[in-house]
Amino acid sequence: MAVAMARLLRDGEVVFQGVNSVLPMVAINLARRLHAPGLVYLNVSGGVDPAPRFLPESSTDPELARGSASLFNNEDFYDICVRGGIDTAFLGAVQIDAEGRTNNSVIGDHARPRVRLPGGGGAAMIMPTARRVILWRTQHTPRVFVERLDFVTAAGNVDRVVTPLCVLQRRAGRLVVEALFPTTAPEAVVANTGFPLAVPPDCPRLPEPTARELALLDEIDPRGVRRLELRG
Amino acid sequence: MAGLFGSDLPAASGLQAVRDPYTGEQVYVVPRLQPDWAVLHAQEADAAGNARIYGSVFWDRVMSRAARGVIVTAERIVPTEELARRPELTVVPSLLVRAVVEAPRGAAPCSCAPDYDIDRAGVEAYLRACGDPAALAAYLAAEDRTLREAVPAVGAEHAGAAGRAVAGGAE
Repeated sequence: MAVAMARLLRDGEVVFQGVNSVLPMVAINLARRLHAPGLVYLNVSGGVDPAPRFLPESSTDPELARGSASLFNNEDFYDICVRGGIDTAFLGAVQIDAEGRTNNSVIGDHARPRVRLPGGGGAAMIMPTARRVILWRTQHTPRVFVERLDFVTAAGNVDRVVTPLCVLQRRAGRLVVEALFPTTAPEAVVANTGFPLAVPPDCPRLPEPTARELALLDEIDPRGVRRLELRG
Repeated sequence: MAGLFGSDLPAASGLQAVRDPYTGEQVYVVPRLQPDWAVLHAQEADAAGNARIYGSVFWDRVMSRAARGVIVTAERIVPTEELARRPELTVVPSLLVRAVVEAPRGAAPCSCAPDYDIDRAGVEAYLRACGDPAALAAYLAAEDRTLREAVPAVGAEHAGAAGRAVAGGAE
């Protein structure tokens, strides 16, 4: 997933990674070492193109500001985002619907929720104002990909959704399968998605991670934090 | 503020959209937030409450300006002259501060860069204690003993801040 997310990033674009975003942190740092050396990396720790010695377990760690030429505070990030200065932002989601809208607020009725979730963390402002948003979720299940969100926390410029099964792309306002991971069975995507989602017979497969990508992953992430979110 | 369109949050929170008189666009406006207190931990502060923060300030600057009063806890109390050497690091000036507390390892078991990293076992111990009022009381008593050993003068008033700190109270 980290490699698939890294490959979505483009050289020269301004990319933001927020709280509780270990996989985006890994993906951005991988892309910087591969095809996107000119990517501008902003993070919630205030880092602007920082040079962390290792990738920390928390995507809010001060290590992510180490070697930064400047500190860009959270209020600075929101200002630049709403005026169109962020090319790509990564956002997480508890529920995702067919239009790429997300719920991070509640399960059940908003006034009397069965489960109160952590909250959008700014997603309601970031999603409509960042030029594009990449969602990721380490579970691809019908409970995540739902026909109807319990609550719409954020809606906006979602471009891709990366899961352990596939990469979804939003085309004409709806999510479609762009590519499957090498070992994903097409029927597994259909069965694990709560809204109708077709997998075309000629659906492309994501290329296997290259030896270089895997070697660089070990180099930038010696502690293996990229696996934290994938632990059951 | 920009954004929020398409979200259920404005309706759920009672936020109103208004027409921006300059552009004619609809924008949501949010009522101001004014907490009674902001409690901020800094690496260094002087006895008057001027607080120096090394590294990223996250939301500390905004919170210090939003709250009616600020309580600063600090790893070290340093002379004002020391802070005056690098005034750009003093994120919170004393005029906003109502109390300053000398609290070495005051952010523990969380981190306070660059002084110490997060203490995962400590966080887990705290979370376990939170499940039970008696355990939490014991946890806090142990923390209090640790602080008193680290700061022999804990409870004593530092000249300069004490008057406002003690007499301040909530407005």
